[in-house]
Amino acid sequence: MIYGTILAVVIPATLVHWGGSAGALIAQLPTAGLDLSYSFGRMLAAYLASLGFALAYGYYAAVHRPAERVMIPVLDILQSVPILGFFPVAILFFVELTGPGSFLGPNLASVFLIFTSMVWNMVFGVYESLKTIPSDLREASQAFGITGLQRLRRVVFPATANRLVYNSILSWTAGWFFLVEAEIFSTNSSAGITLPGIGSFLSISAAAQDGSAFLAGLVLLVALIAALDFGLWRPLSRWAEKFRYDQTPSSDGVTTAEDRYRSARLQRAASFVSRGLRSGASRVRAPWALITARRRRPTRSGEGSLRSAAVKYIVLGAILVLVWLMLIAIIVSVYQLFTAPILPAVRQQILELPAAMGASVLRVVAAFLISLAITLPLSIYFARVSSRASRYGLPIVEVIASFPATALFPVIIFELLPYLTGEGAAILMLMTGMMWYLLFNLLSGIRGLPPDLAEASRSFGASRWLYLRRVLLPAIFPAFVTGAITAFGGGWNTLIVAEYLSVGSRTFQLFGVGQMIDLGAQEAGGLPLLAAALFTLVITVIALNELIWKPMYRKAVQKYRYD
Amino acid sequence: MSIIRIEHVDKAFPTRHGTVTVMRDVTFDVQDSEFLAITGPSGCGKSTLLRLIHGLETPTAGELEFRGEPIRGVCPQMSMVFQSFALFPWLTVQENVAFGLEALHWEPERIRAQVERYLSVTGLVGFEEAYPRELSGGMRQRVGLARALAVEPGVLLMDEPFSALDPLTAEALREEVLQLWRDPALPPESVLLVTHNIEEAILMADRVVVLSRRPSHVLETVPIPLARPRDRKSPEVYELMDRVYSLITEGSARPGSG
Repeated sequence: MIYGTILAVVIPATLVHWGGSAGALIAQLPTAGLDLSYSFGRMLAAYLASLGFALAYGYYAAVHRPAERVMIPVLDILQSVPILGFFPVAILFFVELTGPGSFLGPNLASVFLIFTSMVWNMVFGVYESLKTIPSDLREASQAFGITGLQRLRRVVFPATANRLVYNSILSWTAGWFFLVEAEIFSTNSSAGITLPGIGSFLSISAAAQDGSAFLAGLVLLVALIAALDFGLWRPLSRWAEKFRYDQTPSSDGVTTAEDRYRSARLQRAASFVSRGLRSGASRVRAPWALITARRRRPTRSGEGSLRSAAVKYIVLGAILVLVWLMLIAIIVSVYQLFTAPILPAVRQQILELPAAMGASVLRVVAAFLISLAITLPLSIYFARVSSRASRYGLPIVEVIASFPATALFPVIIFELLPYLTGEGAAILMLMTGMMWYLLFNLLSGIRGLPPDLAEASRSFGASRWLYLRRVLLPAIFPAFVTGAITAFGGGWNTLIVAEYLSVGSRTFQLFGVGQMIDLGAQEAGGLPLLAAALFTLVITVIALNELIWKPMYRKAVQKYRYD
Repeated sequence: MSIIRIEHVDKAFPTRHGTVTVMRDVTFDVQDSEFLAITGPSGCGKSTLLRLIHGLETPTAGELEFRGEPIRGVCPQMSMVFQSFALFPWLTVQENVAFGLEALHWEPERIRAQVERYLSVTGLVGFEEAYPRELSGGMRQRVGLARALAVEPGVLLMDEPFSALDPLTAEALREEVLQLWRDPALPPESVLLVTHNIEEAILMADRVVVLSRRPSHVLETVPIPLARPRDRKSPEVYELMDRVYSLITEGSARPGSG
């Protein structure tokens, strides 16, 4: 994979080029470690907030029908917005709130940012897992009169545990990615804020060509992620497996059991990302389903105590406050756009926005197509579970996938530029933000192919080409659409850093909407530009969603569903 | 004259809990133009056996031969009808039935004519453009049957084809399959039917191969010398059902016997 290669080849080469020594490396470890602990602290805070929010919001939406009609479409919209675009806004807002020079402002902004990157798929995970409790389990629990806390423990928690673990893994991966991206952004020279963390550490080391420092930071980051993966997520996943619903009926059971054993690992990898990311698909499905839903028996909602009702209202209130704050930030900027005098230079930039947006779209599309060309053959290869490659390759892929590629951006920008050209570097960075979504969704789609269909194809002696054309590719089309939706989402978010980075005296920028957002956040009087650029980005993303992705997804669900 | 020979076949799978031996020393043969049923307790590997014969799986030990040649890879003279129908949801009935012919690289015109022929044989005229999800279970299995017949196999392999259908539909389809088999102008010549439904095996087959519990071997091959159509209420049928049933229960209670 792309940054597997980068990690293995380019980094050592670069570090040799930069020079450094083992002694210097060890000397840097404490500093790197300290920065890493700041980053970890932010991640933890954001994760716990996401967990609480997701449980409350998801449970409430799943259980209370009238609330559901509002909460899910709201979530849908919030989720479509490329959150990283709002980082500059969030920073400005929180810094305003806590006073300049306070360390709380930027930290709150970054925690808020990671929170928004983590929370949506977890909310959908909770919501979907509660809604899809098999009705017979639900009826059984009602028949046995399980209420209140016992219900929570015996019914709600097991239903959500599996999804929550998977989505937590996913959220942490996304969180690392965006946190490092945010920290790198904070090192932009004129940003004027400091966010000590592993991202800024790596960025500054790269700019200074300090090989020992960069490697120290990298090693610690990899160690932490691996430790979390092996020490926390894997055991948790194994434990959560027992909450799965599928009990395959034993026919001539042995073949199926064998298959399932071999494929369990792959399924886990593929499904954890895809299920979490299927929230991209449920973006479309959920509001649609609500609109076309038929009448349902009212749930016994009265069982909660006063306290739980109060908790729910507090959470709901908090959500509304957050949404309101975001809107205010946007409105203030937009207001300034129209009332404050706009510097001619800034006005000029604003007028260039449509073209900038177009350039960015082209880059993202190019990154997508290249990613597809790589991931499609790769996933077809990996999905043939019997191959030894998937048995060993997959755990490695899992770990690599959880590593935030944004940590390598400084290297890509500052060292690989002569080899790649600016556009190449930007597309490469975009690919790192998009490829995994695509890969894991495709993998999940391929593994989801009912084995009897593959068998029927073999039975009739279909050639590899016929199998691809008539069986495999149509079968994975829904997964492809989900993968594409989420990959593009990742792409939009990566634009901010892929198109602009300045550390110290070195600056990298490309004409595009990401660049405009960065410039708007930094220039004097740039607020109107920031607002306009964000607005352009959001409008474009929503337009693409409505005009391309949603119709495509509808068609995929309609024609290519197995039932 | 036997067209398929199964000789001392073993089949084992590696699993998380160690190696599972599904069958050990299974030996029987399939005669030309016969209707052979294979039955046995759940988990005895009947479906696996069918796949070994088709060539979708390979045995751990032993030999399988078709018309004197060892079976290597999927045998094109055989085609299969699946318990779960295994139709491609995104293809129409027409396209599903054409699948095997596409795999054989027939020209489109020839394919169309052939598909039309077997759609009418299986009573699917008018449903060419329908999608599987729009059809009932019985219709879907007819599509599966048409697909299997369109490639004109010498041997038709059926893996519990009626177990997912309601009794009335299953009954109707059984009759149709028997009629197709007996029609000399139509494929197939021989039929191998895997079923857990003992009555079905006795009503349809010339001989019934009864397998033991896992690791399975052949307990007995019971000939059914009754003329068709067979009456399920006739004493002969009852007697044969008893016989097979006790073979299975006793043979499974005492592993290694029979």
